[in-house]
Amino acid sequence: MNMRIRFALLFGLFLIALPAKALMTIEIIGGATNKIPVAILPFTLSQDTLLNPGDVITNDLGRSGYFRMLDPRGAVSPTDPQGLPLKEWKDKGADAVVMGQIVGAANGRVEVRFWLYDVVRQIQLAGLSYTTTPAGVRAVSHKISDLVHEKLLGEPGPYSGRIAYILKRGSRYDLQVADADSQNAVTVAASTEPIISPAWSPDGSKLAYVSFEDKKPVVYVQNLMDGKRTAVAKFRGSISEPAWSPDGKQLAVTLSRDETSQIYLLDLDTLAVKRFTRGGALDTEPVFSPDGRWLYFTSNRGGSPQIYRASLQTGEASRVTFDGGYNVSPALSPDGKTMAFVHRRDGRFLIAAMDLENRQTQVLTDTVYDESPSFAPNGRLILYATLVNGRGVLATVSVDGRVRQRLSQSGDLREPSWGR
Amino acid sequence: MKHIVYVAVLAAILAGCADKPTKDAVIEDRGLRTQSAASGAGGVDTQGVGTPAIDSRVISGGGASATENRAAGTSPIAGTDTKQSSVLETRPLAEASTEVKPLTDAQAASGASAGADGAAADASGQGTISLNLKDPKSPLAKRVIHFDYDSAAIRDEYRELLEAHSQYLIQNTRAKAILQGHADERGSREYNIALGQRRAESVANALNLLGVPELQVEAVSMGEEKPLVEGQDEAAWQQNRRAEIYYPGE
Repeated sequence: MNMRIRFALLFGLFLIALPAKALMTIEIIGGATNKIPVAILPFTLSQDTLLNPGDVITNDLGRSGYFRMLDPRGAVSPTDPQGLPLKEWKDKGADAVVMGQIVGAANGRVEVRFWLYDVVRQIQLAGLSYTTTPAGVRAVSHKISDLVHEKLLGEPGPYSGRIAYILKRGSRYDLQVADADSQNAVTVAASTEPIISPAWSPDGSKLAYVSFEDKKPVVYVQNLMDGKRTAVAKFRGSISEPAWSPDGKQLAVTLSRDETSQIYLLDLDTLAVKRFTRGGALDTEPVFSPDGRWLYFTSNRGGSPQIYRASLQTGEASRVTFDGGYNVSPALSPDGKTMAFVHRRDGRFLIAAMDLENRQTQVLTDTVYDESPSFAPNGRLILYATLVNGRGVLATVSVDGRVRQRLSQSGDLREPSWGR
Repeated sequence: MKHIVYVAVLAAILAGCADKPTKDAVIEDRGLRTQSAASGAGGVDTQGVGTPAIDSRVISGGGASATENRAAGTSPIAGTDTKQSSVLETRPLAEASTEVKPLTDAQAASGASAGADGAAADASGQGTISLNLKDPKSPLAKRVIHFDYDSAAIRDEYRELLEAHSQYLIQNTRAKAILQGHADERGSREYNIALGQRRAESVANALNLLGVPELQVEAVSMGEEKPLVEGQDEAAWQQNRRAEIYYPGE
């Protein structure tokens, strides 16, 4: 296995502490070598009270590490795209310009319009209109960011998904859901006992998670629309590690019902469970492959915890990780081609990514206590938790290891999961 | 020695709280009436979040003639139609409705008031060994078993502790023991649940071998979530790799 720690020195240079705020603080570490210069013009608004999509898009693209944001220097979007001085923006060094407007629509709704221009070739790359409620402007802005990212880089942007994570403050645990830029955070469940392992349903409408409110781990599924939740199983012992099947109809869970921790498949309609792994070793941390053919999981059947995968058809398992004595917490990219996991080396727990076709592994981080990797819906970023100065923070790293961000807040952030 | 003192202190603190009824729900449900049975009996408040409804359509531009993807290989975005059923509602956050009580974990149940079973054990008399859960001098007051790194093997020094608890459970057939396994904080929280579970099972098996019926013990795991000692060094980790015995409703 060809493991490398890369960019360690480069990232060291960017560790600048930002002033502590009540809100999430975001720190960007590293970035692409050739950033695309983009100007985002403030949108013209029908009402001053509306959020300006230009601000949201500037933040999204600016934090990504792939774009260099040009200051519009007082320029605003013209009312008609004809009036956009493309040549002028080219002379100012922009490769692309985004302009837009919000106009009133029927029933108190608003129409958000935007245009993206390639000012080098003087052509329009995109033009879209979205009708939404005033409260939906933020979500629309993230969708525009996704589209601009895709048009300029050729791969979908990661901005419009949602993240779930645990915020621990004192003895209180909040399961929160926020936009991918960590804004708009809402507590969906709160407890004085630990909550861990949130997992998004494939359609993004539900979260499964583990709560210790009964003095033991129990898996709950919560509908995010109405807040209703159910314990998926009542058994003796621990019930943990929920993972959704790609069709959303099954959960893989770890139960200690029959013998030590083993993986079971739970039908969400009937709540019937079927045992999936056997043997006296610890089997846990299941995750389905996106094509529904494999279950990846952690097992110590070979003496140390390693990642295995088993066919969901035959149950036959084979070992996936071999390098080192501790490889756990598998997460799969949406295309099923890359696996992120936690790899221990020299007493440090690091995020690594394996190309599942050629089994090449690359270590992506250089911190000490990395945990809980999960992929962005676009497959290009990995979200994980780590410790900085003893405090839990969330971090992202691009799958090539080049771009990293950290999200921190007062309190411990942990157990992140990225959903649609 | 350190942990015994710790347990004793905790027990003393909890004795002060003994009059309060022990409820499952640690958090109260005030101000959440709109959420139709959101939280049920458990100690967790939940609430809904939706995604704003968005309609979209392609519009034409003015300044330029052609619409084109700059990057190779991208497909045109065909009307990002993300119509979703519900509009995001702003509801009071759970923060306003939460009451936090300093209830702790394993020893919470074991502190103060002894049940009828405890009294029965006392009456049965065991020579000089007290099998009264309330008695701080009884070997039953010892509830914590520590483990070596990456191990669930019970060390010899815990023989007396386990024998006392097995005798108590054999004599009190209605008593039930919950065995909570714990791991130190290193590595995956999820894998650490399995490690803690193994430790709890190890204690359960030892009690079964000493004659305690299987249905009188339940092995569960708290993973790395409830450390006895905070800290990121071997001294703290050593304290935290453990199993604890507690008696619900004690």
